[in-house]
Amino acid sequence: MLVGAFAVAHTPQLLARPDTEDRDLVLRVHAAFARVKRRLAELRPDAIAMIAGDHIEAFFLSGVPAFAVYAGTECAGTFGHYRYRFPIHEPLARGILEQGIERGFDLFYTQDAPLDYAFYVPLHFTMSSPAVPLVPLHVNVYLPPQPTPRRCHDWGTALGEILRARPERIVLMASGGMSHYPGTDRYASPDLEWDRRTLELLTEGRGRELAAVTGEELDKAGNVELRTWITLLGAVGPARAEVYCYEPSWHHGNAIAEWPL
Amino acid sequence: MNDLHYRFPPASAYRLNRCLFAMKSDPEFLSRYLADPKTAAAEMKLSEDESRDLLAANRDAMVARGAHPYLVFMASLRVRMEREPSQFEYF
Repeated sequence: MLVGAFAVAHTPQLLARPDTEDRDLVLRVHAAFARVKRRLAELRPDAIAMIAGDHIEAFFLSGVPAFAVYAGTECAGTFGHYRYRFPIHEPLARGILEQGIERGFDLFYTQDAPLDYAFYVPLHFTMSSPAVPLVPLHVNVYLPPQPTPRRCHDWGTALGEILRARPERIVLMASGGMSHYPGTDRYASPDLEWDRRTLELLTEGRGRELAAVTGEELDKAGNVELRTWITLLGAVGPARAEVYCYEPSWHHGNAIAEWPL
Repeated sequence: MNDLHYRFPPASAYRLNRCLFAMKSDPEFLSRYLADPKTAAAEMKLSEDESRDLLAANRDAMVARGAHPYLVFMASLRVRMEREPSQFEYF
């Protein structure tokens, strides 16, 4: 069953803060993560299915899947001096993969890919000890042609049905966003207005409307990673988001939200 | 689609992108790069021009050649994290 749904930022500067970043802002985002951690303790999940955009980490140009499921026994990765490892909920990973394929989504799977910091940064701040087993779900957000927002939403709808039919208590978490343009000329001017309009839509339970946004619009708004949220929106349907924080830095709209189910 | 921030990585830039990918994701390669950038770039079979742009951290030139902007960004952040560790606060 699906017991909770969250969308979270994963900016690496929240973990390793350079002197260019406002410390108070970083700490406010940490406080929102702490709130997610408390909610996770209340929700008592058996597994966390986590949708993250791949930062060309699990998959380089030797293979670029639109949607992938990590179906190994554990997964590990590194970011700077951080070394991390999490158990995988293998029966759930296989269930998502097999039923996703049955429903017409030609999913890629892996048992051996490094775990990106898009997964690790939120888990660093929200994961309990011992860790709840994960199912990492990848979406190609950075290497065009990416899956369309419509396809992400459809995959999320199927994913939601699959999760609801499972015996485990499952939390769905989407990692990514909001507006940022790493490595481009627009890095210092995130589209905060687009973010705010979108958050308003989500608090009204109108997430479905994001399925109609084009990939080009997401790129323009610095929100290529919002494909992970749009996937989650397919799963949560008309639920209304509760925004824990929206903390725009000089280069990034850091948002954390929950969809109470 | 040419005005997109993130464009299809042209095959002509494969080696450059592979090198940037290794800098961000392969700690051993990053150590070799930090110790001797020129030799590390040669190990990745970069052309002379690509190697010059990489060593000069010339983002615009690399992106113009087809380097993926995210890879340029994170390779450069990883270099900074290694070269100036005291400039970061770790949580």
